[in-house]
Amino acid sequence: MGYLEVEGVAKSFGPVKVLSDVSLALEEGEFVSLLGPSGCGKTTLLRIVAGFEEPDRGTVRLAGTEITAEPPAKRQMGMVFQAYSLFPNMTAEENIRFGLKVRRVDANEQAERARELLELVGLTQHRGKYPHQLSGGQQQRVALARALAIRPLALLLDEPLSALDAKVRVQLREEIRRIQQETKVTTIFVTHDQEEALSISDRVVVMHQGQLSQVGTPAAIYGEPDNIFVARFVGAVAELPAEVVDGREGIVALFGRKVRAARAQGMAAGTRIYFLLRPETVRVGPEGANGGLDGTVAGRTFFGALTSLRIELADGHGSVTAAMPSDKASELAQGTRVSVSWADDAPRILRRE
Amino acid sequence: MRKRRRSETGPKIGLLLIGLYFLVPLVSTGAFSFWEGGNRYGLRAYIALVHEQQLWQSLGLSLRLAIETILVGLVILVPAVFWMNLRVQRLRALFDFVSVLPFVVPPIALVAGLTALYRGPSWFVGTANYLVVPYVILALPYTYRALEVGMRALDLRTLTEAAQSVGAGWLSIMFRVIVPNLSTALIGAALLTIAIVMGEFTFANILLFNTFAVYINYIGQTAATEAAALTLLSFLITWLAMLGVLLTGRGQVQIGGAR
Repeated sequence: MGYLEVEGVAKSFGPVKVLSDVSLALEEGEFVSLLGPSGCGKTTLLRIVAGFEEPDRGTVRLAGTEITAEPPAKRQMGMVFQAYSLFPNMTAEENIRFGLKVRRVDANEQAERARELLELVGLTQHRGKYPHQLSGGQQQRVALARALAIRPLALLLDEPLSALDAKVRVQLREEIRRIQQETKVTTIFVTHDQEEALSISDRVVVMHQGQLSQVGTPAAIYGEPDNIFVARFVGAVAELPAEVVDGREGIVALFGRKVRAARAQGMAAGTRIYFLLRPETVRVGPEGANGGLDGTVAGRTFFGALTSLRIELADGHGSVTAAMPSDKASELAQGTRVSVSWADDAPRILRRE
Repeated sequence: MRKRRRSETGPKIGLLLIGLYFLVPLVSTGAFSFWEGGNRYGLRAYIALVHEQQLWQSLGLSLRLAIETILVGLVILVPAVFWMNLRVQRLRALFDFVSVLPFVVPPIALVAGLTALYRGPSWFVGTANYLVVPYVILALPYTYRALEVGMRALDLRTLTEAAQSVGAGWLSIMFRVIVPNLSTALIGAALLTIAIVMGEFTFANILLFNTFAVYINYIGQTAATEAAALTLLSFLITWLAMLGVLLTGRGQVQIGGAR
């Protein structure tokens, strides 16, 4: 049994079904991200956990107690919001002390706790500033400190980084992870940014159309997608239609030629499959190289250390993206004819309906 | 060049004319208030006013009614506008409509309705406190508008939820989070209410209460120069209230608020 559990939760807004039969359990101290496109239900699920929405069906349990009907103020959960949510009439320190003040915690203890938290989020010298005197990143840190001040049983983060600029985002997400590891607070982090989810989570929950599409470690989500939605949503992937020829040997037919795919082993001959290639597993060699698919470099995107090449396959078989060190990629100008290949165990195989 | 000069002088003349339109009656009233008969000018009217017991009584009554009106109006409207903005935004059109009704219903109709309809305890219906009812209605458009603008500038939902998530109840949310962030709107609403109540004549006169405006009217019929002096005084009160609204509104940027 988990520490924070959601069981059989369903929610509709009018005729729109937002969540259908969602169950999820978090261990104590775990950092779990809810990842999915807009409208997948991730924020609604978080708001149900927080108590701001009531589920149509299902239960929420925290530390062994059912809290489905508890109002948010009674749940002992800290929350950080996407929009800047600091109280404009209070300084950073007063914001942090607010939760303790309404609980009538002793003033000395309030001050001590605020000092600890200001230190934890690195804002000690900004304690007397009002929200409008703080940058976006600083405001979200104060919001995090305010949420942690009440020693929450769980910390809920609703896209707290999405209003910040790219550099601050990366800094702050690492800081969130460090603080979570220091405080060991069970955390749910909602995001639509896969890089964010993969980089800081113990486990990632990919959501799609109100359901959990896959739950697993970041490596599993990226490397072993359960279904085509996860494969497409997390990381770039080339999907090539293929068919299993020999399940015992792991041979598949790909554009009329037989290729080896370790992960097709055990599948029945004739099964229609997606043959999935992640950019970093694609090798690019000179045209006509042994066993590769021929193609032409059709586009290049420079990312600094890496460059991504879009290779249009011959005979209209679609395209494959390859990621390679930029110095190597510089030799392959647009229009160069190349051959793409991969290791036998690189392709992921998913059934195609 | 010629065209440009004309475009600059045109508005200036317009402004001057409008300024004169407002200033001439005021200056004349002012001059008249100092007239002591013949060619003599002095402070006699003002001195007489200061010693007039009834003036202070009526001024005190109007100020008390203004304060009561502000309190009753805010106690009703702050939670109502808060709730509408937070939970039932679809009712905004209805709120907007109701808030402008006092402009549509003439005071004379309202007061006729009030005298016919209300039956109640004598401490209420029998005293000047009864005037608070129509005054709250009269001030409704201004109070509502000020609060509505103030609340729309705040992200009410996020602030409320943030407060709830750390354990605050509704009273804490209201008095520690919402009201302090509405100070500009509240001061604006209060000063506008003062300006309205100090100048209100119809209700008080028909319901036979001797408020400041009723007293001005009475003096006007009995002592002409004192009435002029009093009119200037009431203008001054209204102007101070308006100045207060302007200054607090300007202070908003420095006080800070939701960004």
